[in-house]
Order: sequence, then structure tokens, then C-alpha cells
Amino acid sequence: MAVNKDSNAYTITFAIILVIIVGGLLAFISNGLKPLQDKNLKNEKKQYILNCLPGNKLISRDQAGTEFANYVKERVILNYNGEQLENTFMNSDQSLDDKNPNDAFSIDLLKEYKTISKKEDRNYPLFICEVKGEKYYVAPVMGKGLWAAVWGYIALDENGEKIAGAVFDHKSETPGLGAEISQDFFEDQFIGKLISSESGYKAIEVNKPGSPLNDYQVDGISGGTFTSVGVEEMMERTLSVYQKYIKNLNRS
Amino acid sequence: MAEETVIVEEKKEVKEREPLFSKKNKKLITDPLDENNPVTIQVLGICSALAVTVQMKAAVVMSISVLFVLLMANISVSLMRNLIPNRIRIIVQLVVVASLVIIVDQVLKAYLYDVSKELSVFVGLIITNCIIMGRLEAFALGNKVWPSTLDALGNSIGYAMVLVVVSFFKELFGSGKLFGIEIFGNATEGTGLYAMGYMDNGLMLLPPSSLILVAIYIWVQKMRNPTLIETH
Amino acid sequence: MDLVNIFIRSAFVDNMIFAFFFGMCSYLAVSKTVKTAVGLGFAVIFVLTVTIPINYLIENYVLKEGALTWMGEEYASVNLNYLTYIMFIAVIASTVQLVEMIVEKISPALYGALGIFLPLIAVNCAILGGALFMQEKQFATIGQATVYGLGSGVGWFIAVVLIAAIRERIRYANIPGPLRGVGMAFLITGLMGLAFLGFMGFEI
Repeated sequence: MAVNKDSNAYTITFAIILVIIVGGLLAFISNGLKPLQDKNLKNEKKQYILNCLPGNKLISRDQAGTEFANYVKERVILNYNGEQLENTFMNSDQSLDDKNPNDAFSIDLLKEYKTISKKEDRNYPLFICEVKGEKYYVAPVMGKGLWAAVWGYIALDENGEKIAGAVFDHKSETPGLGAEISQDFFEDQFIGKLISSESGYKAIEVNKPGSPLNDYQVDGISGGTFTSVGVEEMMERTLSVYQKYIKNLNRS
Repeated sequence: MAEETVIVEEKKEVKEREPLFSKKNKKLITDPLDENNPVTIQVLGICSALAVTVQMKAAVVMSISVLFVLLMANISVSLMRNLIPNRIRIIVQLVVVASLVIIVDQVLKAYLYDVSKELSVFVGLIITNCIIMGRLEAFALGNKVWPSTLDALGNSIGYAMVLVVVSFFKELFGSGKLFGIEIFGNATEGTGLYAMGYMDNGLMLLPPSSLILVAIYIWVQKMRNPTLIETH
Repeated sequence: MDLVNIFIRSAFVDNMIFAFFFGMCSYLAVSKTVKTAVGLGFAVIFVLTVTIPINYLIENYVLKEGALTWMGEEYASVNLNYLTYIMFIAVIASTVQLVEMIVEKISPALYGALGIFLPLIAVNCAILGGALFMQEKQFATIGQATVYGLGSGVGWFIAVVLIAAIRERIRYANIPGPLRGVGMAFLITGLMGLAFLGFMGFEI
């Protein structure tokens, strides 16, 4: 062993070889697994949308991938005033394309919030679904939890006044506390709650657990105050846009 | 540099040709369980130990991932121990650990998506887990592959032990559940123990309670083994 | 105002030690005396303030999806996100090494004071943790990211010095044998953590 392990040349050669091996290996693994990962993400989004429809809670991720078109009949993107954007109306015959910016399925709400600061400029995707002959509108919502984003999908009935189902999920809320928002007992509270009063849109409030509730309130998570506030925030943020759209649609 | 890192111990090369489970090798596994426990005695890897103990499930998943990463890292650093230039050895070790964690992360995302969602927060924490760096620096760098493997096993089991014990108490008294199964009855419906007026201890769910539980763990451990007691 | 808010939040509300337990290992190792605690505390402030802006640039011009657009349109769809951990940790380790060399050349006195702590920092969870949180929080400008780094460092400093002071004070107290040393340090940190919970949700 005549190699001097402390020489600069040796150190640099070693570093370069290591970087090439590690870089190559990681790039190979990451590229090889990318299609599978993308499919998981896509199916997860489909699963959210289907799960919040009444009676569909148990659809698994793989099932959601294949049965999506059976439930989601039309997809559309709205602007802040609840008007449909040009060329964004698609029905279930047109296959999902998450690269096409005119397809509501491609809209990533998290990205919209991060990159577009004015709420008037954001895109609002809406999924129009049918279950057993009933029509439901499914809209994504997004807010901020204690650590990172929390999000969900809300199903509205055909008048746009009552919540027919809700799913929530989170990136990294504390297990046992904030993370409980993705549990059934929390999500199911939203079913049947109202989002409109005589004066127009009224957001759902998330209360301290234990206090009596009216038609516009649900119980929060004890110990998960910040996450509960995040849920309240997302209920307030975007649903009014969709309500405007649905009301206009029914009027005409 | 870094010769004076706190974790400089046991840098002796293990003798040639020993039986696979010689007394010395067995000690490599049993020592970290009690006398040289990575969490309570060496005080390493606390960050993750405290952050993931609210639920037993998360604690177990975290323990398994640490076991895997520590094992692979110890083996690969031990294999390269005669090649690594001394001056950049910390960077080399970090690169090895970080790539292993990335691989774990990517594979989980593709094949076990649900587990990966469960783990998402903790994956990054594995890299910053001082146990892994500590073991690489103190052991794998100076020892053959087989002892390093045993060392990794011993230390990750010692780590897992503390995590499981702490999370057992936190989940049981914090939310009345174990692995998500209700033990004390249902709090919202007021059945089981809750019908008799029992209430969950909210403090158990908060981060500081893990510190206090670890302190109690140390107390009990050192009471049973007084040789471990520190003198000032 | 925004910057002040970020600073206060990162130093007190999201305190690295009391809220996340980041950097506990070196924290428990050096908190025996105030002097060493101050030394490592300053080193952490320094490294966090330097590495977080660097990592911010890397995140925004190399790692993020579409971050490579400055190299030409054809790179717009490249997503190197999977390299996050390795890039961040490499930046941190090499910065620490570099800082160590520079300090040694320029100011031997400062090196004498900080020198032995610098290698410890590369493996300090607080530094990588800070970088990962920076990525999560998606700061709009590099200024905000720098302030965030500074604030987190100051928070860490405060925590480690406070605990060191308490540990120094109770050195001659009659603590039950098994709790002496580490055990007591855990208990004190737990109680301090409870106190810091009071900052939760604090905003200016």
C-alpha cells in the first residue's frame, strides 16, 4: 500500500469517485421508480375525490385508479368569481391528463397558493360527480397546519348548500393530535353541515371540542388546536367560489 | 480534525479469526441494550426518539427504518474503512447515510406508499440521527464487517427499546390506545374506563412529556444497575 | 415587520430544542458548563446563518422542479428533489470544514475558543433540521431565509445557555444518585419545554 491516504490527489480522486457512484446510483433508482411513484400520487388524488362522495369511503387507492371515470362525470376550472374558464370543461370521455393545464385534474392547489399571490388570479378546479343518480360537486381545499400544509376535498350537494362528505389529509401533523383530522370520526362530522345562510356563504367553524354545535359548527381536535384552525381556514378560503358557480348554474 | 469528538471510544481492531459469536461479539449486541444504551447512556439520537413517540406505530416504524439504515451504513463504511481519506471522512459518512436514506425513501414511495406517508416526517430525521453518525465514527471506521454488523444490530435494538417503552406510556395514558386500538374504552362515547370518570392525560401527548419519561427510564435503569450512576 | 416576526417565531415559538428536540445530542454533551455552552451556541448561530442562505439558493436554483430553467428552457422539467438530503448535508459539512480552516488562519484566538466545537456541528441535527424546515416553509426571499437561520440559531443558543446555567447551579445539589447527570438534564429540559409551550401561537 504505497498510496498516501492524506495526499490531496488521493482525497480528491476518492471524493470524485464517490460522488459519481452515489450520484449514478441515486439517479438510476430515482428514475427507475418515478413512474410507480407518479402513479401512486395520481391514484391518491383520485382516491381523495372518490372517498368524499357519500358511501364511497372504502374505495382503495388501486380501485380509485380504475373506477374514477365511473363517478366523475365532468371536470372544470373556475376563476375567482365562480365563472368557468375557457376550454376547461371536460367530460369523462376525455381521459385524465395531469400535464394539460386545461384539465382540472392537473391543478395542484398547493402550487396555486404558493406561486400566485392574488386570490383573483388563482385557478379553482371542480369535479362534478354522480353517485346513484345524485349529483355532487367535489372541490379541493387547502390550509396551513401546525407544521406544514393540510388539505382536503369537500363534496357539496347539487344546490351547493350542504356538505355531503369530506376527506382531509396532512403532510406532517403530530400523530395522535393534529394528524387525527384524517380520521373518520373527524371527517364524518362535516356531513350534513350547511355552508350557506340568508346572507350568502357562511364558512364552517371548528370549535373547541365539547361545546354544543349548530349546523355550521364541528368539533375540533383536542390538543390539535393549530391543525383545527388550519381546517377552519381552508373551509373559509375557497368554497364560496364554488358555491357561486353552482348557484349560477342552477339559476340558468 | 474531529479526533476529539465526544464519541471516541472503543477504537480497537478486533482480533483475526474469531468464532462468529465469540464472547466479545455477543457483548457487541448485549451491551447497547443496557450498560451502553445509545439513548439513555451515550445520549445519542434523542431528537428522533422524542419526536416520534406519541404513537407506538410510529415508534416501531421509525425503529425499523433506523435498524435498516444503521445496518447498511455500518456495513458499507466498514467495507470502505481502509479507503476513506481521513480529512473528509465525516463528509463521506454523511454522504453514505444520506444516500441510504434517499434510497429507502424512494423505494417506500414506489412500493409501500402507505408506509411512506406514515414515515414522511421521520425520514429526514434518520439522517440527523446522531446514533448512526456516532456508530460510524466510533465503531465502523475501525472495525471489520462482522463486528460492525453486530454493533449496528445491538445499537438499533437498544434504541428501539427506549422508543417502544416511552411510546407505550405516552399512547396508553395520552389517548387510551395502543397501536391505535382502544384499551380504556372510547373517550368520545364515554365507554369503559371513561364511564367511571377517567380522563386522558393531555400532557402525555405534548413533546416535553417524552423528556420526562426518558428521565424516569434512566432513573429506573440506573437504580437497577448502580455502576452506571454518574459522579459529578 | 415580517422579518421581525420570522425572527421571533424561529427563536421562541418554534425553538429548535424545546419544540423539536433538534440538536439534543450535542446540547446534552456541552451543557455542563456555561462557558462551553456559550462557545457551541455561537458556533451554531454562525453556521445556521451561513448555511441556510446557501441551502436556500441551492433549493431554488438547483433542486426544485423547474429550478434549472436558468440553464436553458430544456431543463425546465428537471426535478432533482430527490437529492435534497444529500445536497444539504454536503453543503453543511463542507461549510463547516471551510469555516474551520478560515477561522484557523485568520483568528487563532477565535479558533481556540470555537475550534473544537465546529466538527461537532456537522452532525448537529439542528443544522440539517433548520435547512429542511427552510425548504418546507418556502420563504419568498433569501433575506427571510437568512433571518430564519439567525433566529433558529439564537433560539438554540438561548436554550443551551439557560440549561447550562441551571446545571451549573445544581451541581452540588443533593440529587438522587440514578438521576445525576443526564437524567436530571432531561427532567430540566422537559420542564423548560413546558414553559416554552407558553409561546405557542404567539405572533406579532
